[in-house]
Amino acid sequence: MNELIASLQEVNWPLIAPLFLLSLILMITALVDCLKRGQTNGPKILWILVIVFINFFGPIVYFLFGRRNNE
Amino acid sequence: MQQWKVLFRKELKESLRNYKWLWIPVVFVLLGITQPLTSYYFADIIEQFGALPEGAIVDIPPPTSAEVLAGTLGQFNQIGLLVLVLAFMGTVAAEKNDGTLIMVLAKPVAHFNYLTAKWVHVLVLAVSSFLLGYAAAVYYTILLIGSISFSQVVISALVYCLWLCFVMTLAVCLSALLNSSGLAAFATLATALILSIASIYAPDLVKGSPGMLTVYSEQYLYAGEPEDGFWLGVIVTAGLIFIMMSAAIYLFKNQEAAKNAG
Repeated sequence: MNELIASLQEVNWPLIAPLFLLSLILMITALVDCLKRGQTNGPKILWILVIVFINFFGPIVYFLFGRRNNE
Repeated sequence: MQQWKVLFRKELKESLRNYKWLWIPVVFVLLGITQPLTSYYFADIIEQFGALPEGAIVDIPPPTSAEVLAGTLGQFNQIGLLVLVLAFMGTVAAEKNDGTLIMVLAKPVAHFNYLTAKWVHVLVLAVSSFLLGYAAAVYYTILLIGSISFSQVVISALVYCLWLCFVMTLAVCLSALLNSSGLAAFATLATALILSIASIYAPDLVKGSPGMLTVYSEQYLYAGEPEDGFWLGVIVTAGLIFIMMSAAIYLFKNQEAAKNAG
């Protein structure tokens, strides 16, 4: 456990933060769009899981294929 | 001109509403950041997660700035291009299928305006996403790896932009002429793939091919001067973009006219 904390402190956060922030923006946008939409291309709950749990590619796949007729 | 502006604004509004102006630039910036970061931490990553035997000495030479940026362009060419083409595969084809096209063209809208407004909008979105992502990559590369000359970065970016414009023009044209968005995307990506493969395996045979532009932009990053055939590639690609767009407008008009007659 101490080792984990030590290695976390070693990480250069200012460098990595934009990566997390942008991934988060991508995820939240996809999630908001998915929840607001009446119907998705396939079960909605599945899309939510895909968006939340598949980093980076999840939201992209949702934006490309989750909405009907590419709307 | 007034009509063109209205159509362009419609495109802009539509892709703002479905977040294309947000998520596509974000994807490019993420791709741009990831490459310098992984290059920088490569030795650490191997040490932490690679199954190296105990006591093995990891001695990987640190990459140069040019290598990292060339790698970034490679990332854009794979995931970035795929995302862009799939996002815009239905730009005309989907409107054909859901009836929007008939509604728009029922009014006295020129086919030329309709198609070029879409085309310019797609190019603006694609190029600005790429430039944002590339700027992020350059910033991180200078921060982590080392400096690189400004002119090398700018010219490689411009040449890559031209290749991007070529692929997106192809995507819009095929979307206008084919009825299925999936088929348009497949044909575009297949063409891009064939051109890229040809430029890797037979670079001497296809000196002027648009596919060579990715090679030229990467080589410009390394060498800082135009490769043999550089200008030929640029001129041929610009010409092809013009020809494809003119042909698409002509054929699209005739297609619609034939449909109305029949």
